[in-house]
Amino acid sequence: MNLILSIITDGVAFGMILFMISVGLSVTMGLMRVVNLAHGGFAMLGGALTHWAMMQMGIPFLPSAVLAILAVVVLSVPMERVLYRPIYKMGELPQVLATIGITFIMIAAISFWLGATLMPIPLPAVMQGSVDLGFRTLPTQRIYVVVVGLIVIGGLFFLTERTRFGIRLRAAVDHPGTASCLGIDTSRIFSLTFALGAGLAALGGIMGAELLPIDAYYPLRYMVLFLTVVAVGGLGSITGSFLAAMALGILDTAARYQFPEFGTIFFYVAMIVILGLRPQGLLGKA
Amino acid sequence: MKSLLPFALMALVAVVAFYAFPYNLAFLTRVVITMILVLSLDLLIGVTGIDTLGQAALYGTGAYAAGLFAVHVWADPVAGLLVGGLAGAVVAFVSGLLLMRTHGLTLLMLTIAVAEVFQELANKLDWLTGGADGLGGITMNPVFGTWQFDFIGQTGYIYAVCVLFIVTAILKVVIGSPFGLSLRGIKDSPARMRAIGTPVGRRRVAVYTLAGAVAGIAGALAAQSTALVSLSVYDFQVSAEAMIMLILGGTGRLWGALIGTAVFMAVHEVAASVDPFNWLFIIGFLVLAVVYAVPRGLIGLPEEIRRMVGRLK
Amino acid sequence: MNKTNAWKLALATAVAVGATQVARADTIKIGVVAPFSGPFAIYGTQFKNAMDVWEAQHGKSVAGHKVEFIFKDSGGPNPSAARTATQELLIKDRVNYLAGYVFTPNALAIAPLINQSHTPTVIWNAATSVINAKSKYFLRTSMTLPQVSAPLADWAYANGIKTVVTAVTDYGPGIDAQKAFAKEFEAKGGKILDDIRMPIKTTDFGPFIQRAKTDKPNAIFSFIPAGPPAFSFVKAYTDNGLKADGIKLIGTGDIDDETTLQGLGDASIGIITSQHYSQAHPSKMNQEFVAELKKLHPDAVANFASVGAYDGMHVLYRMIEAGGKDGAKGMKAVIGSSWESPRGPLTLDPKTRTVTQNMYIREITKGPDGKLENKEIETIKNVPDVGYPTK
Repeated sequence: MNLILSIITDGVAFGMILFMISVGLSVTMGLMRVVNLAHGGFAMLGGALTHWAMMQMGIPFLPSAVLAILAVVVLSVPMERVLYRPIYKMGELPQVLATIGITFIMIAAISFWLGATLMPIPLPAVMQGSVDLGFRTLPTQRIYVVVVGLIVIGGLFFLTERTRFGIRLRAAVDHPGTASCLGIDTSRIFSLTFALGAGLAALGGIMGAELLPIDAYYPLRYMVLFLTVVAVGGLGSITGSFLAAMALGILDTAARYQFPEFGTIFFYVAMIVILGLRPQGLLGKA
Repeated sequence: MKSLLPFALMALVAVVAFYAFPYNLAFLTRVVITMILVLSLDLLIGVTGIDTLGQAALYGTGAYAAGLFAVHVWADPVAGLLVGGLAGAVVAFVSGLLLMRTHGLTLLMLTIAVAEVFQELANKLDWLTGGADGLGGITMNPVFGTWQFDFIGQTGYIYAVCVLFIVTAILKVVIGSPFGLSLRGIKDSPARMRAIGTPVGRRRVAVYTLAGAVAGIAGALAAQSTALVSLSVYDFQVSAEAMIMLILGGTGRLWGALIGTAVFMAVHEVAASVDPFNWLFIIGFLVLAVVYAVPRGLIGLPEEIRRMVGRLK
Repeated sequence: MNKTNAWKLALATAVAVGATQVARADTIKIGVVAPFSGPFAIYGTQFKNAMDVWEAQHGKSVAGHKVEFIFKDSGGPNPSAARTATQELLIKDRVNYLAGYVFTPNALAIAPLINQSHTPTVIWNAATSVINAKSKYFLRTSMTLPQVSAPLADWAYANGIKTVVTAVTDYGPGIDAQKAFAKEFEAKGGKILDDIRMPIKTTDFGPFIQRAKTDKPNAIFSFIPAGPPAFSFVKAYTDNGLKADGIKLIGTGDIDDETTLQGLGDASIGIITSQHYSQAHPSKMNQEFVAELKKLHPDAVANFASVGAYDGMHVLYRMIEAGGKDGAKGMKAVIGSSWESPRGPLTLDPKTRTVTQNMYIREITKGPDGKLENKEIETIKNVPDVGYPTK
């Protein structure tokens, strides 16, 4: 019983991080039909900027993180305009090439600026240490991860279901042609969604830095992991991303507890089985 | 007659490269081997419209098969190539039965997963594969019992170029055959092909198997020329770079695969020797420049220039 | 091309490479093959920084020979890239010496090349014992894994640790480290409660730590290659509060090397590791080394890769001094020689051609400057490469 509870707690914490980073990717891929391989780069930028602000500028954790996320959001808007807009109408292959090129430049820029070292993000005192859950202890930081994750999913749910922007966003994802005929400014929606996705990735990068440490090579190191969440969840589905992130987080954690020596194989075989049974992902549209 | 022209050009380039860069033959051999790998990918992505990111599974298995064959059975290079090709084909056929039912992102992810599973298996079976240290002890016999592999890499280069010619010629014939035409049909419209009675699923598995054989041959060549096979043959990077090179060159006509590989690897080599730390900038900008200027890849460059010149008039 | 012809060419190159030239102010070329980009670029950076320190202290020429370095990026563990790069260095750049090599497969792949060209090759990192058995031209200034893990077992048992859970990365070196540790520890009378193998690509180490915790061992022994995973692992140990439960973390110095040490936070105080170098090594030579490094690269830190390269430079310069372009003469001069290094006294063991060196048991503590450091608490003197294959 303790074991199951342990698996669930660790799995949920890991899943939350996967969710925060991947949900933006899922939505932008679903909305803009762009295979955005550079998405992990925004998570890396968020982490790297936080590290820089804290270590070099001496700014405390919270303001550093907020500043870093804002910086990533601000950076993402012109990037979407200049770099992404021309590739929306191209096929998938040029999109892959363009976004991988962007990823390369992000990596080169960060390693030029901050070097190839790990970029640790020291946690504020309140997040350090561990909490006794009765059946085990859990790093306090994970509690924050889960809380922030829940706020994110709640916020996204509210945004898409209860606001005008959300209605337009869903319309643009489901029927892009019709949406623009009805006078919805899809270009604005693209910009906003892209910025939102980038900001969430930055948030995920910062919150997840304990599990996925930040270094310049981060976007390529974890690219497959993030894409897996999107594929398993189904393109463009927020709930799907959430379910997929949780499922993969818990499955992966269970494998680590029970048969660590086959961990990697288990993860990928699970993915093959899920996608073999549901090629469109858990909640993707056929 | 006209179809022979590119081959003549290819031969010319190969000969010129041999004499122009006599000290870089090891690198040129790697370029040629990578070309074969990228050709196998073009057969899938460019010709049939099957987007995959798992060529490493086929390439790596070919490399290990050829390496093990050389160590334990017979160190003949040509026999090793056949074994590598066969191993690649078998893996492609078996995994293709599942993979070829899927499309798009799902297919991309599944092919990645297959390569990752193979990498972990190779790591686990270290009594067979040497694990993280790599599979060593490969000493190849002379090619056809006559041409010894030499220190400068002349034999290795000529041998690899010959294999490239044969593979390209075979693939050209395949693409021009009714089978090849049906593949192009599948790319343009699977539904229509199904309607006129083409067994689309079976064709996809067939072409995946063929691509597996070609990728396996590339892997076998790599094993023979490096004389060591390591877990890195299954790296995601192998598949991803092959895809980048293919798209860079332009898909669907094989020549794009060759041009893309040559340009990517040459730029990488030069940039990395000028600045080993920051060469990724150059590669990044090259890739972006190609996408925005010639979205169809470098092979579309002459046409693009012609159009621009036309517009100027 | 026939066999004799090929041999002539190879021979011509070898002769050109090894030719003795008496001319003064000639240039000796050294090829450095290491990862300068990609996920392991930190090694290249550490190497380069240490080389800068050496050149600042000893100049760019030795005994009238100008020394020129040619850098080649090998990326990660990629034998075919490493072999190509080496081949080009030998044939095109005609280097007289080779150096670098971070990964075992990369080093193994070039053994046949240097056996043909007779080029002395100084390994700055790759740590599998078997490498040096593949070519007599390999000299190693880093270490081998058995050198590091066995002494730690002795120390652990002598210091009240009787039960251990081992948790290592599931690949060749990890398994070797586990075996070397377990053998020594059990021979002393200690008990291994569980042997956890963690996949190479793991990111979340919490589960392994929790699993180890349920066995209630005195300590967890760990080897994980330096880099992001090692960092996450130690974070998982500190974050899960195992220290409070009286479970120590011990391991090879890879898990808390200086490039990640400060990021581990104060919770990591008390972790015990064994390695051949600590930036905090209390010797005058090391203080000068670190001071010069900080002068040239203010943000840099010194770690095991730094001294691997720094002592590698020592070996290269001594070889050039003795033999100029004559590698055979140079090798004769350095094999068996001893010298003082920032890490302590070194001897290039004639049998294994790996340095015999002190191993240090270090504890993470707060240094005088308020930063974390690996404080050496015990020294095991003159440990040779015990893993060298005996024929």
